[in-house]
Amino acid sequence: MTIMALAPLVAIVGGALLVLLLEAFLRKADDEIPATAAVLALFAAGFLIVRSWGLELGYFGGRLSLDPLALLLMAVFVLIAAFVILMSLKYAPGQGIGLGQLCGLLLIAVAGLMIMVSSTDWLIVFLGLEVLSVASYALTGLKRDSRDSSEAAAKYFLMGSFAGAFFVFGLALIFGASGRLDFAGTLSAGPAAMAGLGLITAALFFKIAIVPFHMWAPDVYEGAPTPVTAFLTIAPKAAGLAVLFRVLVPIMGGRPAGALFVPAVSVAAVLTMFVGNLSALRQKSVKRLLAYSAIAHSGYLLVAIVAGDGPSLVFYLIAYMFMNAGAFSVLAALSGKGIEHTSLEDLSGLGRRHPWLAASLAVFLLSLAGIPPTAGFLGKFYIFGSAVREGHIVLAVAAVLASLISVAYYLKVIVVMYMHDATIDVTLERENPALYLVVFLCLFGVLELGIWPGNLLIIIRQAVTGLF
Amino acid sequence: MNASIAGLPIISLVTFLPLAGAALLIFVRGEAVKAVRAVAMAVSLLTFALSLLMFFGFSGASGLPEFVERASWLGRGLDYHVGVDGISLFLVLLAAFLTPLALLSSRRAIDDRVKEFCIFMLLLETGMIGVFVSLNLFLFYIFWEAMLIPMYFLIGMWGGRRRIYATMKFVLFTMFGSVLMLVGIFVLHAAYYRATGSFSLTIADLAATSFSPATQTWLFLAFGLAFAIKIPLFPLHTWLPDAHVEAPTAGSVLLAAVLLKMGAYGFLRLGIPLFPRAAAHFAPALSILAVIGIIYGGLMALVQKDMKSLVAYSSVSHMGLIMLAVFSLNFEATEGALYQMLNHGLSTGALFLCVGVLYERTHTRLIRDYGGAAGRMPVFAGLFLVIMLSSAGLPGLNGFVGEILCLFGVFTSNKVLAVLAVSTVILAAAYLLWLYRRVMQGPLKDPDDQRLRDVNGRELAYLVPIVILIVFMGLFPGGILRKMDASVTRYIDVLKNKPGLAMTSSVPSRPALEAAAVVEPER
Repeated sequence: MTIMALAPLVAIVGGALLVLLLEAFLRKADDEIPATAAVLALFAAGFLIVRSWGLELGYFGGRLSLDPLALLLMAVFVLIAAFVILMSLKYAPGQGIGLGQLCGLLLIAVAGLMIMVSSTDWLIVFLGLEVLSVASYALTGLKRDSRDSSEAAAKYFLMGSFAGAFFVFGLALIFGASGRLDFAGTLSAGPAAMAGLGLITAALFFKIAIVPFHMWAPDVYEGAPTPVTAFLTIAPKAAGLAVLFRVLVPIMGGRPAGALFVPAVSVAAVLTMFVGNLSALRQKSVKRLLAYSAIAHSGYLLVAIVAGDGPSLVFYLIAYMFMNAGAFSVLAALSGKGIEHTSLEDLSGLGRRHPWLAASLAVFLLSLAGIPPTAGFLGKFYIFGSAVREGHIVLAVAAVLASLISVAYYLKVIVVMYMHDATIDVTLERENPALYLVVFLCLFGVLELGIWPGNLLIIIRQAVTGLF
Repeated sequence: MNASIAGLPIISLVTFLPLAGAALLIFVRGEAVKAVRAVAMAVSLLTFALSLLMFFGFSGASGLPEFVERASWLGRGLDYHVGVDGISLFLVLLAAFLTPLALLSSRRAIDDRVKEFCIFMLLLETGMIGVFVSLNLFLFYIFWEAMLIPMYFLIGMWGGRRRIYATMKFVLFTMFGSVLMLVGIFVLHAAYYRATGSFSLTIADLAATSFSPATQTWLFLAFGLAFAIKIPLFPLHTWLPDAHVEAPTAGSVLLAAVLLKMGAYGFLRLGIPLFPRAAAHFAPALSILAVIGIIYGGLMALVQKDMKSLVAYSSVSHMGLIMLAVFSLNFEATEGALYQMLNHGLSTGALFLCVGVLYERTHTRLIRDYGGAAGRMPVFAGLFLVIMLSSAGLPGLNGFVGEILCLFGVFTSNKVLAVLAVSTVILAAAYLLWLYRRVMQGPLKDPDDQRLRDVNGRELAYLVPIVILIVFMGLFPGGILRKMDASVTRYIDVLKNKPGLAMTSSVPSRPALEAAAVVEPER
């Protein structure tokens, strides 16, 4: 029990306040100063996270605890936030977005995520969830000149509030039934608490875009500024799944709740994979295609929850961060002043026009499709493999068939890039070193984790296996 | 067993040298076409030289894999584990031999995005060789899947008019089989753990374990589907004519010569040794499909108007014979199947090269556009004749040795099927000789056509080595068969001694069947 457990969080929140102050008092032209401050805050948080490794710090009577799972995911959040800021340095001014606002909101969202993954108490999870949600609504609507962006923000807000209500109602049921709000209390309580848990699960399913709670996702992901989409498809998903993992896995092992939750979550996983992938098949916009693919990936990740395999879940989340952030960073690189080039047609002939960007995007897409030797393949291998080991063979067969469908649309993008001639001439307006750094790091991550994950795999296994 | 020759990890070198070459090519400027081609050619020739070194160092006495390299990789049985035995050695050689020839053949046909082309060819080579040298099931799967991607690009970027349709069909068909195989691998992994308490995906370990009949049946179906699509076994062959017709010549050559062999190799290495009981159970059904494929492929080849699709359907027919031999599960047939895999690789690869030679001159592949080409291209006509006769199984050339071994072997296990399978010889002679007559003989279609010049030095450089091998392998099969003998004997012995496999003569006793059911079925 030490206040040091709050250190990474304090670094982020302090950074957020500093960024917002700087943004308010500096002139518009000095946008990069707040961004620099934000990156420094992220660095500080990252340093503190690494320092906390192995210390098992806790606060609030253990309600906020920095266990290895929390620390791993916090590192993921810091990394993805840094990627998003680097992607936005040129993108944000080009689209008329205040870079400072974006950075400030992003840090607040990260703070919410950190609270979510490190708490063992429903009320604190809710606190984190709401901090995250409010920041995400604002982030989605940052492109104020774009109707799509505003519409997406409104949709996200309405649907998100609805889900928040579910969450609170579930919380009330749990508290009424057991008189406790910590995770452990839920596990031992009776049917009313189970109903409450069902409602909370639905609310979290909404956050990570699980069918049938996914309706908002394609519009929001498509309407939001591209770097924000990268963030929204990865970070809230990771946090929601971490909470689900902490709560559902112990429950699914026991009876009678297991008999209820295992089939329910399995069906949700299968539906999510198939609805996401089948809808993606018909998309004409790459951004929307990736939005549906993000839904499908929630389904794959849910398979890891059903199998109760924490290490695979975390490994896939990290792999997914690299490949998805990489894909969106290439899309961000293609945006021009005031416009985005995200339709399939815009990518035609990209293999000739920008061979490096096209090759990178191809690698990210192949990884998303789960083709070796990429991180996406290894991630799927571990998740589906543990599903089979736990006896969920039908689920695994459904999962591999769903990923077969996904191969068709990821390859469709590659077909357009390499096998169609350019129909329009899109040239990049300027050099963008920060963004290329993100592309490179993601490329490195995807290949490194696919071929030689070495230490990371060991760290994850040690960290997450000893959780219960 | 030595893992190296002169201190070199020979298998890893042969496998990953092309990959290193591809990585090197990334940094060569795309405009420097000559340099790009030179690097690719040098790398592939060096790979071939190394594979020859491997061939001469291979003793083949024990029947066990040689030059084995093993290193722990991802843990839990997912190891890096490679080596070659008499079954895989020649397939590695075939891939290493044909890649430089295919590169040479594409020198004129491919003039757009040469750098990318060479990179994908080299990646494909690594993938092909990797499949054959893997001794760990996980590694095998990685190469098996990864190899699709370069082929996907080769067909899709440099193919014919319907290339995108063909390449998507190729990838999705093949992947459909392989994702189910992936689930099969998971089941094996879990079942092995349950049976022994330790993790392993080493193929030899898995083959030494008996799985329950139900598990075997499902796993055999999962693996078998992947292999049957790749071979391709009738009625799963529909992707093949599309892919062959649309692929560039170099792609067709490697597709026919090496990729199709992976399916048959998969049965020999995994499908049959791992699940012998299920394999024996399904062998009659698969044999019948193989015979249907032989006859159907032959008849379809007879009526094709396009030379490439004629050769593609002849592949269906020839691969049918190889499958029939594989499922005869005896020594002669297995060795014949292996030999025939090499023959088919050489002769069909060469047939595609010949079609490529003609196509480069006239830009048509339709048979009716040709006639009397032999008058203008006498040297080419001679080479084409030898290659064609090899494919048709003329005695004295390599095809005869393989076919006769296959048919002998099939005959000892099933006489009816053997009689039906002989039709492959008749049909092949019919469609090939008829092709030759229509294209090469008769009056010149267009006497003013100056485009039909005889083969040049470059074309000789890639056709003559194949023709020499064709003749050599027809006259002196002993040297090659001897290197296979020990491995094939071992393969057959293991099958015979494994309980639960109904061989042609011996029926297993009741206790033996129950011994096979040690491992509980999967849920």
